[in-house]
Amino acid sequence: MNLRQAGNVLAKDLRLGPRSPVFLWVLALPIVFTFLITAVFGDLFAPPARLAVVDEGSSRITAALQQVDGIEVTVLDDSDAMTAAVEAHDYDAGLLLPAGTDEALASGQQTELELLVSGQSLASTRLVIGVTTLDELRAVAGSSPPVEVVVTTVGDQGWVPVEDRLLPFIVMYAVVIAGLFLPASSMVEERERRTLDALLITPVRMSEVLVGKGALGVILAVMMGWVTLALNGAFGSQPLAMTLFLLLGGVMMAELGLVVGSWAKDSNTLFTTVKGGALLVVAPVLFTLFPGLPQWIAQLFPTYYFLQPIYDMAVTGTTFSDHLVDLAACVAICLALIPAVSAMGRRLEQQMAATV
Amino acid sequence: MSPAVVSTIVGKDLKEFRADRFFLLITGLSVVFYPLIFWLLPATVDETLRVGVVQRGLDPVVTAVAEGSDGLAVVELADQTALEQALLSGEGDLVAGLVFPDDFVAAAAFGEKTQVTVLVTADVPPEVETALSALAGELALLALGEPPPSDLLAEPVVLGNDLVGDQVSLREQLRPLLAFFVLMTETFALATLVAAEIQTRTVTAVLVTPATRTDFLAAKGVVGTGVAFTEAALIMALIGGFATGAPILVVALLLGAGLVTGIGMVAGSFGRDFMTVLFTSILIMIPLMIPAFSALFPGTANAWVQVLPTYGFVQTVVEVTTAGAGWSDVAPDLLLLAGWTMAAFAAGWVVLGRRVATL
Repeated sequence: MNLRQAGNVLAKDLRLGPRSPVFLWVLALPIVFTFLITAVFGDLFAPPARLAVVDEGSSRITAALQQVDGIEVTVLDDSDAMTAAVEAHDYDAGLLLPAGTDEALASGQQTELELLVSGQSLASTRLVIGVTTLDELRAVAGSSPPVEVVVTTVGDQGWVPVEDRLLPFIVMYAVVIAGLFLPASSMVEERERRTLDALLITPVRMSEVLVGKGALGVILAVMMGWVTLALNGAFGSQPLAMTLFLLLGGVMMAELGLVVGSWAKDSNTLFTTVKGGALLVVAPVLFTLFPGLPQWIAQLFPTYYFLQPIYDMAVTGTTFSDHLVDLAACVAICLALIPAVSAMGRRLEQQMAATV
Repeated sequence: MSPAVVSTIVGKDLKEFRADRFFLLITGLSVVFYPLIFWLLPATVDETLRVGVVQRGLDPVVTAVAEGSDGLAVVELADQTALEQALLSGEGDLVAGLVFPDDFVAAAAFGEKTQVTVLVTADVPPEVETALSALAGELALLALGEPPPSDLLAEPVVLGNDLVGDQVSLREQLRPLLAFFVLMTETFALATLVAAEIQTRTVTAVLVTPATRTDFLAAKGVVGTGVAFTEAALIMALIGGFATGAPILVVALLLGAGLVTGIGMVAGSFGRDFMTVLFTSILIMIPLMIPAFSALFPGTANAWVQVLPTYGFVQTVVEVTTAGAGWSDVAPDLLLLAGWTMAAFAAGWVVLGRRVATL
């Protein structure tokens, strides 16, 4: 095999690739997914309590509530607007603090304050907002409780928030779309347009075509993996080790892409196969998302061996040396796929020869 | 326009749909997985904080606070060890615990400061941790007979229908999203069919028969709307969506099917091949998905979301299935949807018609 010829195929695909919608897909969708998953779904699974405050006298209570972790406080100017917004469930609750509230509380007067709650807010959210607000009123009134409160966490200290558990999904998406789908669709497209026939009339051999297209998938998979990790602030202290696993993941996916792309006779068949087989690729992500599932099952899927080390290094702070077994497994899978790619390439060549 | 010719083209298109592996796969997956996902999701909303309490002599205060709040359930435990075990084992679904020292009442009576431990599991949100710390202090002050400086908790003003105990579950919130996804899938299916006809030029073959361009376009409209409506209605039936307001939902699904058919005709007209159709369809689908996702979140959607073509559809399904809305409640949303449907259908008709004319 001539690596220079493979490089020529890669250069051609890099030059012509941006004309393909799949290429744009590879670049745009991981970023869109990062935004959707982190910004949208983080809040969906763990919605904050939302409190609106109309403060007519620059109360210390407002400032204190704004400091509370987990409660989103919005200061509004108009009590009617607050009432309408709470009724529409734009906020879980609304608090009206008339002018002179702090002074009235400090003088020990029983103060008439109105807490508006949305009918759609959860009872637990109402309790959280109510008790926290009451605590701040007590503080302003100067009646501190005769207790020292000590908070102790029990159980699994390694619990990971859901938005962090979605990281493997985003990385997987970036690596799979670029590594698997790009080479596969490129192979199928070349066959459908019969440009592969033209290419093979030149001195370029099928093995060089496969290496060139696979290399493009690997380069973009690593690049988009980097982008998604950077967007999620997940490089941690192991960027080189993560890059190595991204590279192996990219190679693994590109090999799978070449197998599927050489086998599928048209785009429709390719897309059906990718959609149908998606569960095999995505499965390890489900086990990270739902830690209660038996985790050993995830190890049955090849993508586990590059996704899990990236996740562990980014989220739980493991180091490269903790993942040597995963590294060996990744390398073994990549090596085991080479004969499959080669066989599918030969089969494709024979098919094309038979149809000429 | 000849109904006989249109029905012949419709028959041909349906036969092509049945022969399309990709369409069959995504249809099969939709019919199986969407209802499966729906029924696996929890049907109720747990809106109670279950807190274990270890205390001596605070019964009246603890009972009064627990009874006065819908969102709090108190479970008495013998000691801190039992509480920790309950939290670790998940017994009683406790999220946290409060441990008051045995001499708390006596010490407080003499003005001595004591230590109260708040035990939380690692997944407890920060605002709950803060509220429980505040609750510990509040219980202590109530035990000393110090009333709160305001009746904030005793007399909150509830605005709108009070849904405590009857909240809309995530399952019910997902219903419009699933119905919408099915319709969107059909956008892609019709676009693929149209693009294939253009690519293989079978449309020119059809037009040399007595069929006119109007017959061809009408047939595409019928097939797209019919297939999208049938599948969406099937999924809605499988996820129990027709339990209330079925006639309104049927109208909304029909209008939604017409909307996605118009979009599918436009996407298909631009499609040179399968990949371009896929890309164009997804490009169109992404903004149209926003209203369906925004329905998962509380509150009013932003003004720009409300002008998107699919907002009327999503809002109608949400209001009918979760709030039991009637015709008059959803009339503005249905009218908006009808307007967008007509616009999309007209755009599809014109764009596809022009594309066919150029072949």
